[in-house]
Amino acid sequence: MVGAKMAGAAAASIRERQTVALKRMLNFNVPHVKNSTGEPVWKVLIYDRFGQDIISPLLSVKELRDMGITLHLLLHSDRDPIPDVPAVYFIMPTEENIDRICQDLRNQLYESYYLNFISAISRSKLEDIANAALAASAVTQVAKVFDQYLNFITLEDDMFVLCNQNKELVSYRAINRPDITDTEMETVMDTIVDSLFCFFVTLGAVPIIRCSRGTAAEMVAVKLDKKLRENLRDARNSLFTGDTLGAGQFSFQRPLLVLIDRNIDLATPLHHTWTYQALVHDVLDFHLNRVNLEESSGMENSPAGARPKRKNKKSYDLTPVDKFWQKHKGSPFPEVAESVQQELESYRAQEDEVKRLKSIMGLEGEDEGAISMLSDNTAKLTSAVSSLPELLEKKRLIDLHTNVATAVLEHIKARKLDVYFEYEEKIMSKTTLDKSLLDIISDPDAGTPEDKMRLFLIYYISAQQAPSEADLEQYKKALTDAGCNLNPLQYIKQWKAFAKMASAPTSYGNTTTKPMGLLSRVMNTGSQFVMEGVKNLVLKQQNLPVTRILDNLMEMKSNPETDDYRYFDPKMLRGNDSSVPRNKNPFQEAIVFVVGGGNYIEYQNLVDYIKGKQGKHILYGCSELFNATQFIKQLSQLGQK
Amino acid sequence: MAVDITLLFRASVKTVKTRNKALGVAVGGGVEGSRDELFRRSPRPKDDFSSRAREVISHIGKLRDFLLEHRKNYINAYSHVMSEYGRMTDTERDQIDQDAQTFMRTCSEAIQQLRTQAHKGIHSQQVKEHRTAVLDFTEDYLKRVCKLYSEQRAIRVKRVVDKKRLSKLEPEPNTKTRESMSSEKVSQSPSKDPEEKPVPEEYPEKVPVEAQPELGSWGDGKGEDELSPEEIQMFEQENQRLIGEMNSLFDEVRQIEGKVVEITRLQEIFTEKVLQQEAEIDNIHQLVVGATENIKEGNEDIREAIKNNAGFRVWVLFFLVMCSFSLLFLDCRKNAVSRSSGQMTCAPCGFLCA
Repeated sequence: MVGAKMAGAAAASIRERQTVALKRMLNFNVPHVKNSTGEPVWKVLIYDRFGQDIISPLLSVKELRDMGITLHLLLHSDRDPIPDVPAVYFIMPTEENIDRICQDLRNQLYESYYLNFISAISRSKLEDIANAALAASAVTQVAKVFDQYLNFITLEDDMFVLCNQNKELVSYRAINRPDITDTEMETVMDTIVDSLFCFFVTLGAVPIIRCSRGTAAEMVAVKLDKKLRENLRDARNSLFTGDTLGAGQFSFQRPLLVLIDRNIDLATPLHHTWTYQALVHDVLDFHLNRVNLEESSGMENSPAGARPKRKNKKSYDLTPVDKFWQKHKGSPFPEVAESVQQELESYRAQEDEVKRLKSIMGLEGEDEGAISMLSDNTAKLTSAVSSLPELLEKKRLIDLHTNVATAVLEHIKARKLDVYFEYEEKIMSKTTLDKSLLDIISDPDAGTPEDKMRLFLIYYISAQQAPSEADLEQYKKALTDAGCNLNPLQYIKQWKAFAKMASAPTSYGNTTTKPMGLLSRVMNTGSQFVMEGVKNLVLKQQNLPVTRILDNLMEMKSNPETDDYRYFDPKMLRGNDSSVPRNKNPFQEAIVFVVGGGNYIEYQNLVDYIKGKQGKHILYGCSELFNATQFIKQLSQLGQK
Repeated sequence: MAVDITLLFRASVKTVKTRNKALGVAVGGGVEGSRDELFRRSPRPKDDFSSRAREVISHIGKLRDFLLEHRKNYINAYSHVMSEYGRMTDTERDQIDQDAQTFMRTCSEAIQQLRTQAHKGIHSQQVKEHRTAVLDFTEDYLKRVCKLYSEQRAIRVKRVVDKKRLSKLEPEPNTKTRESMSSEKVSQSPSKDPEEKPVPEEYPEKVPVEAQPELGSWGDGKGEDELSPEEIQMFEQENQRLIGEMNSLFDEVRQIEGKVVEITRLQEIFTEKVLQQEAEIDNIHQLVVGATENIKEGNEDIREAIKNNAGFRVWVLFFLVMCSFSLLFLDCRKNAVSRSSGQMTCAPCGFLCA
């Protein structure tokens, strides 16, 4: 298996593991070997929305073609019979999907069926399919049935999300609703645990679990522990034996799973951000690694024919192949702007080289005596021509990032996001504020009402003691004047009261931001992105609460915050959940999972944290990925009740 | 890590079967299930298209196997040391080339045929897409196998060209080295490729011929012993010079060789690109032709419309003028009738109403 060949940590690139598993599935569950003179085998891929979400960040249409897939269709669309072709199904085992499969079997759409279920299918549903197959006399056509255990979406090499389609079910709101019943909670927990279980099966390692007490995370931990334990006991069907575990066993290290509840830190999802990837997620329409931009065609005078102005919608994929993205997704925005400029200039230089060659070659044809120049230029020409596809690709990427960055910059300028960012940093690090909060809130052209709400909520959350009633009234009035909805505030008040009872408020560490001021502004005016009035802020390393908790647990540091975290080890024979960790060594790999939702800011923070440490890996996961807008919506829904 | 539950599935099938039997439910088969399946198999419309596509693929596979089988022998030419089994004559190689080419041509024709036929009589968009993709895969496979063939052909052609070029270079150095020592020539030749064995073979032949007159000249020049060291020195210098020239020529030849190879590669890339653009240019050409025709027609339509407009206007004016004249006329007549007792003239149309 390719997975076993990866040197070192078992937590190495979850993306590669999932891709390998998908490719194997597409190859009829036989390990995929690249053979340049192999015969083409064609097949049809049928998926449901879950399958689509899982496959789309990992495999492009071209890669699907390379694997021999001629058509890829949604399960619940109208499909015509295509005789004499095998069909690979990749779906969740829900009632409707099973019904549709039975229908397909009855209609004899394809020649042979390879059924792959994203998570384990129950015996009764399997019998339903068997029934339909018998009725249609198609039992031999069902060639293979597999449980793939791939019920999670990998977005980055080290980041995963549980679901995109039914995220209503496992959203922050669903978990924290005051009117939730026990059964509903059970369902939500089961969904989360199922996905986490699939994740660990794909990873091929059994983790040591730690979670805080009295939160939703604890429930998830208990259930996950139970499930893993049951699976390990069942020696016949255990999913954790076999050669995929080879690498994990050799490293003698088991990863650490830290289950964190969203309620520990509500300020980070509301925070305005300054790094590229987080900004794109916050400001533009970005999910499953795809950005959707709306470009309005400019203010032209419409001709006498009076056609309405159309807005072009463009969508771009930000993939791991995109080197610029990989390098700069965590950099602060001004750096990104400069790098795009640099890339553009180097691209132009290369283009000029090629054009110059063209003119030289033009001269060549007339001047017979310059044959000696020819010999040198032939080599140059060859290298130029062979590098042409690379150049075109580079140009495409530069265009892509220019568009994206310009869109982001427009938003920043319109909403003065840099001001918010700076201010929030100051609030969160408890340094002195130079401008009063009221001023910013009442400022009419600094940001949308939502931005102001976010700012105020962060202030409220991180204040040591709640502001006095009079102040609060003042703020509320200012906020309503600015057009904000006050429901989220209701909820945050409740949360704060509860959180105070539970534990000490978390601090956000020390940070300073240094606005670089006039000098950098002068330097920046030369660049295409004229960032006048946008301060060039330098981020200093700060540790968000999530990172701090992880640091404590990974390095086995003693800290009142994390000392009473529960400890689970599914491999231990006796199922006691003592709080005393048996293992005293610091962990090499860790997986941080946030129950209730996560975002790119935390992810970036973790990545930065682990960059400083050699040989350690971190994976970040969350039950859903939201940006501040969506979070505010959820909070206001919660506050309305 | 995926879990194969096919066996579980088959077990469920058995369970369901037994359950249905127990319940007495006829499940559209039951006992005759297996027989029914067999019967169902044969009348199923065997897809013509895919069976033909599969045929083409198996043909290409045969070609590939054939090429791979003989590849080693094909390439391992020219080593005279090889045993008899490995040798392949040139005629055999030509035969292989020709066969491979005709084969490839027939395969590509078959694919073209399939392409034209694929879209006939099929109404479903999905099936059309599927067939196009299948044909693309087949073409790609053919291209890959052709690459195998062209690679080994390129190696063979390169060797032939090298050989020719080296044999062409041979007469020049021969005239220059007539006075040089044979030993240096022979010592140089083993440093070159073994391919040049036929070439140096000729030197030793010529040199003994030369050696004799030289011996003769030496025999005559015994009285000039004091000069011969100088002669030897001169000869040595000339030798050095000639060696230098030879080396530089050799280097230049190598360079030119490299350039030519690069140029061929460039040519290949260019031809590929040009061929790709051919289809697009055809498209554009068609569109442009259509556009010019449309514009012509549009112009004519506009001209006609203008004419009609003008004509229409003329008629309208004429009608109005006629109307006004007739009104005047009638008016006159009325006036004339009303004044029939009195004067017979009316002002505007004076002499008209007499």
